[in-house]
Amino acid sequence: MPTRFSTCAGIVLCVVLFGGWSQGFAKDIAGSDIEDLKKQMALMEDQLRFLRQKVEQMEARPAVAPAAEKSPAVAEGEKITRLEEKVDAAVASSKKTFLSQFNPSLTLGIDTIGSYRSRNQGFNPGDGSGGRNDGRAFSNRPAGADFNLRSAELFITADVDPFTRAYAVLNASADAAGNDEARLAVEEAAMVTTRLPYNLTVRGGRFFADFGTLAHRHDPELPFVDRPPSLDAFVGGESQTNGVEVSWLAPTPFYLKLTGAVGNKLGGETPNGVPASQSRPIKGLTYLGRLLTYFDINDDHNVELGASVAETPNAEDRTNIGRFERRLVGVDVKYRWFPLGSGLRQSLTVAGEVLHDLGEADPVNGGRRVNALGSSVRQGAWGGYAYAEYRLSKAWRPGFRFDYFQLQSEPLLVTNPGTGQFGSTRNAVGHRTDNRTWSPYLSWYPSEFQRLRFQYNRADRGNANDVNEFFLQWTVFLGNHGHGFFERD
Amino acid sequence: MNRIRLLLLSVGLLCALALPAWADEKIRIVTTLPDLADIAGQIAGDAATVESLARGVEDPHGVPIKPSFIPKLNRAHLLILMGLEYEQSWLPALIDEARNPTIRKGAAGYLDCSVKITPKDVPGTLSRSEGDLHPSGNPHYNLDPEGGRAIAWAIFEGLARHDPARAPQFEANLNAFLAQLDAKMREWDRLSRPLKGLKVVSYHRDLVYFADRYGMEIVGEIEMKPGIEPTGRHLIDLVGRMKAQGVKVVIREPHFSEKAPNQIAAHVGAQVVTLPIMVGGAPAVKTYFDLMDYNVRAMLKAAQAAGVAGNE
Repeated sequence: MPTRFSTCAGIVLCVVLFGGWSQGFAKDIAGSDIEDLKKQMALMEDQLRFLRQKVEQMEARPAVAPAAEKSPAVAEGEKITRLEEKVDAAVASSKKTFLSQFNPSLTLGIDTIGSYRSRNQGFNPGDGSGGRNDGRAFSNRPAGADFNLRSAELFITADVDPFTRAYAVLNASADAAGNDEARLAVEEAAMVTTRLPYNLTVRGGRFFADFGTLAHRHDPELPFVDRPPSLDAFVGGESQTNGVEVSWLAPTPFYLKLTGAVGNKLGGETPNGVPASQSRPIKGLTYLGRLLTYFDINDDHNVELGASVAETPNAEDRTNIGRFERRLVGVDVKYRWFPLGSGLRQSLTVAGEVLHDLGEADPVNGGRRVNALGSSVRQGAWGGYAYAEYRLSKAWRPGFRFDYFQLQSEPLLVTNPGTGQFGSTRNAVGHRTDNRTWSPYLSWYPSEFQRLRFQYNRADRGNANDVNEFFLQWTVFLGNHGHGFFERD
Repeated sequence: MNRIRLLLLSVGLLCALALPAWADEKIRIVTTLPDLADIAGQIAGDAATVESLARGVEDPHGVPIKPSFIPKLNRAHLLILMGLEYEQSWLPALIDEARNPTIRKGAAGYLDCSVKITPKDVPGTLSRSEGDLHPSGNPHYNLDPEGGRAIAWAIFEGLARHDPARAPQFEANLNAFLAQLDAKMREWDRLSRPLKGLKVVSYHRDLVYFADRYGMEIVGEIEMKPGIEPTGRHLIDLVGRMKAQGVKVVIREPHFSEKAPNQIAAHVGAQVVTLPIMVGGAPAVKTYFDLMDYNVRAMLKAAQAAGVAGNE
């Protein structure tokens, strides 16, 4: 029994002791773990905070991969990709389109002249103002000094389609002698074919017909201030016509061009002619022809030869009722010495044109030339000019021009200014009834696009008093001022 | 009736005169400048006839518009040009008059070599107050041998397009040209080492590509602006800059006057050297290789005479 008791007591004691130890042990173990855990958690929290900061810092920075960690090939590839993106962006930006991209090429020529003349123009045409008075081929500019905005010419050109190009020249002049009001005129508006076979080209519309060398040039493109007086008298200023022209370039090793045209008129030839509202006989049209050739004597010397004809078989004058034939022929020559690479840019041009006007027309007075009995008189008149221009340097070009023409109304329609007698062949001071003009001039080109020119005209007018004229011309070109084939030096 | 017979006879005679030109089977190439003609001749070989409109001694910007150019352009299969508005003042008028749709701008026979190069001096703003600018960039790229390479490639591609059957022949000629060019370029690189850093003044701004290739620095031009003759004030300023920067070599192109280059050179004690800018610009310059060779050697000689050539 005592054994059983002692056994139970022992068990209880053991349980108590073990329980007490185990409790104390557990208690010790539990305390250290928590501390450790707390430390670990604090550590982890620190690490987490550190990492969060790192992440935040990295997020704040642009994502750049460390180059060193990439292979050169990969880095190169990425570089190429970035470059391609830039190129694509640049190409895309260059592909912007504007409606104005198809606008034609524009050039504006502004031509202003200050002038002084000792007497009014009288029968002496050719101050270049283009002024006309009731069909007479001369300007009515008064004596004295004035300034004249001769032209503000807008030249417009573009291809129309694969077959045709077109151009127009609009001229607004504000002449002090014409009330100073600006007048806008369509000087040219024409279509030109570009793809016809057999070297053919057709031009149609309003254009300056291919007659001679200077008649089809616009005022600012002339080598002088004024148009040669003989051209003003015989052609009537510029060789403007409304019509159609066919030209053929001969398939020869040298330059040879044949041109034929038909139009309402030539220049100011028939200002009193048939109005558009009335019918015009076929023979009332003006028929034009021109042959032009050119030879290089060698690299430095060349010659250009041309012949022109304008025939109006049966012109009609509305004012001076009547019909008349008119034939104007001209021969022109141009010699040029242009030493390539002279280092001084010197050159010499000597050129001239001889005109003969035959027929019943009276271009000076208009209408038909008649005798005292009213019968038609078929009569010829000679005229022409010659000039020489020496280019001293790129900027300076002095020149001299001589012009001569017979008054086509002679000897029937001249009134002697001294005696008032009609039908005189000599004027009061015994001058012949023709017109001679001597014109020294000097051009200065500060650049390709600007020119100043001084010119003196001494005109010996057979039927009027002599006149002295002084011109100072200032011309500029805005925009794309390319030299056309017909405006070449 | 007799008049009509005479007219028909005349037309027949003219056409007979033209027959020799039509009879040959060769490709008819017209180039604007002689450099293009030389390179085109080397690549086309005997398959083509090549003719340049401009001569090497003249001002390439102001070539006179001669009617004798018209028949050449009228019959040309290919028109090869520098582009970048180099020929702007004279070529468009000739093309309009030539009545040859094959060589009009944009057509297959219109071969603009500048499409193969990266232009320098592209103006930021376009105004005539800056002179006669080239809106697409400086067109004198023929004075860089790499420009010569670009021209050769452009001509080869144009020829191969025009006559694919003979493309292998053109390619062989191109490879021969490029091999010779590479060899020459190594020689010019070696010769030009003393020119590196050399400061120069030229008459016109046409040596940019040449100067960049061989490490020279262009301090200024005698022209006030491109195409504008110098004023006295401009020359005084230029002499001041030359003195300040130690410029001892003045370059004159053959088509410009000697007067201004000699004047400013005398003021600063500089050497004047005449450099052709095109093939044919000097008697000894008969090919494109001659041109580059002549220019590199002439520059070297001038720099040595002026005592400003660097060490090799």
